[in-house]
Amino acid sequence: MTNHRSSNSRRHFLKGIGAAGVASLTGPMIIGSAQASTTEWDETYDLVIIGSGFAGLAAAIQARQMGLENVAIFEKMPYFGGNSAINGGLFAAPGTPLQEKEDVTDSVDVMVADQLAAGRGVAHEALLRHVAANAASALQLCLDAGSEFHPYLQQLGGHSVPRTYQTTVNCGAGITRPLLDKCRELGVTTRNRSRFSSFVQEDDGRVVGVTLDTRYYYDRDVSEGPTINVRGKYGVLVATGGFSQNIDLRAAQDPTLTSEVTSTNAPGATGEAMLAMFRLGAIPVHLAFIQSGPWASPDEGGFGYVSNYSIFNFPHSVAINRSTGKRFMNEIADRKTRADAELANRDENGEPLPPILITSYEHAKEHPSAKKVLKYDVGWKFDDLDSLAREFGVAVGPLQAQIAEYNEYVRDGEDKQFGKPMDKISGKFIEAPYMVVRLWPKVHYCQGGVAINLKAEVMESSSGAPIPGLYAAGEVTGGIHGVSRLGSCSIPECMVMGITAAKSVVENKT
Amino acid sequence: MNQPNFLSHARTVSLAFLALSALASSLAYGQLRDFDGMMGRDYHARLHDRGRCTACHEDSGEAVAGYPKDGICLDCHRMEKLVSATMPEAEEDKLQNPHDSLHYGREVPCIECHGEHTRKEPLCADCHNFDFPDHQE
Repeated sequence: MTNHRSSNSRRHFLKGIGAAGVASLTGPMIIGSAQASTTEWDETYDLVIIGSGFAGLAAAIQARQMGLENVAIFEKMPYFGGNSAINGGLFAAPGTPLQEKEDVTDSVDVMVADQLAAGRGVAHEALLRHVAANAASALQLCLDAGSEFHPYLQQLGGHSVPRTYQTTVNCGAGITRPLLDKCRELGVTTRNRSRFSSFVQEDDGRVVGVTLDTRYYYDRDVSEGPTINVRGKYGVLVATGGFSQNIDLRAAQDPTLTSEVTSTNAPGATGEAMLAMFRLGAIPVHLAFIQSGPWASPDEGGFGYVSNYSIFNFPHSVAINRSTGKRFMNEIADRKTRADAELANRDENGEPLPPILITSYEHAKEHPSAKKVLKYDVGWKFDDLDSLAREFGVAVGPLQAQIAEYNEYVRDGEDKQFGKPMDKISGKFIEAPYMVVRLWPKVHYCQGGVAINLKAEVMESSSGAPIPGLYAAGEVTGGIHGVSRLGSCSIPECMVMGITAAKSVVENKT
Repeated sequence: MNQPNFLSHARTVSLAFLALSALASSLAYGQLRDFDGMMGRDYHARLHDRGRCTACHEDSGEAVAGYPKDGICLDCHRMEKLVSATMPEAEEDKLQNPHDSLHYGREVPCIECHGEHTRKEPLCADCHNFDFPDHQE
């Protein structure tokens, strides 16, 4: 979608620089593939990687460490890191040093079993097993690059044991930035504002390169640099993430996900490289399984501060329906269960009535973002239940009864309402003073994408064989998690499959 | 706090913020002004008054070609100074420095948050309710 500008008069051009003026210059979208025989290469690398999130960065490091000389990462956005740079920085792995320290019994089998349950029968067991088996070593790659993690584990929704690390900055940037630095240290070419346009194929279908628009300005959807043909001698890896920010595409899969539903994702998560792979014949899998995060807040944009705060606090908190004053879900059920339950919170006119998450301030303040949540007015502290109930329009009687009932469950170690596992929250009663955030799901993750095999090769629909030279890793791939991905299982997947893709490129080289 | 029943709290906040910043911009340095049919920032008045478009835009002969190249602002503005000018005082807020952020370090191109000819919200506002009182939309 390159727009070559020519001799507009100075004033004329500059007056047209606003969004409307530029939109008129934008041509139709043309994405497909070009033939290698008629392509003149502007640049040549051993491996071309599209996207600079966890998967792309991990692949580049692995490729360089295995001896590929020239590796390049092309990023559409003005800055590097993709959606990974704004995610929660939560990394699940079985058999880690922290599990040993905290005396947690876990295994690849147990982690896979948890994920299969959330996958509701259609997850890809072999891929889950491959990721779980290699997650601890992928975590080590992050540590080696300089990532720092909190010295404790968390137990996220749907996980049967605590197995989740989190970066000390509570964000994926605690991984992407060290990995990006490591890439550059290893001589990886990193280029921003470079938008994937199409693949270049040999006559036999082998993917040998890509066409890119350069100096791309995503917010105006124009490209001001030349369109270049970049050869990937040994392959092209697509690591471009999901399509949560492509409203037409996601609403076509799930009509409930209209523009009225916001997303946690970075604006670049629009899926055009995934669509181009479908045009090459890649098998589409599970595109309608689009996950909303049940820990998000309607009081801030994107992932914000509340998401991680809620993830940490859900185990020892109660989520309350404001119409009834009662709990309405197991606060650490899997994401889909909770998001669906939250969406059912409506007022008498059917309008959204965001539920509230009530936590003892004593426990809430333990989360590193709690101060930010209060400071930026996305969560609030209350000294007593009366003022809390009044603020959110909840009848105080039922609420008081609910909290007393829940505290009995805490005492007895059994949640008779929703079966929440209570063994890890012993003694964590809901008591004044309280801290409250509001909850409303946001579109967070696309379980669907292109089908890959255990080597991160993209599978072709008519032959059932891999498309030679084409690899994919991370959220752009589909089917691994089934209906609902468990929290903190994306980073290990991205890292492990990025590393796997690089290994496959090297293996397939000869 | 806002009305509990109102879902789009964030929008309310940002509208209030816009209104406030419009008020502030009538007083503060950095506001958008009309320079002979071209909107521009008052602190760049000397460039606008002299028609020096090529201070930022590439000169392709008879026309100004496209957006300024990333990094060209740093021909005049020193990164170190920008970073220190916006460094939060509290230790716990230091990662919120818009010129040296937790997410992207110092790598966000200037025009992602600053519009010379147009209003522009800071990138942080996509997800956070930060208050940058000196940022002139």
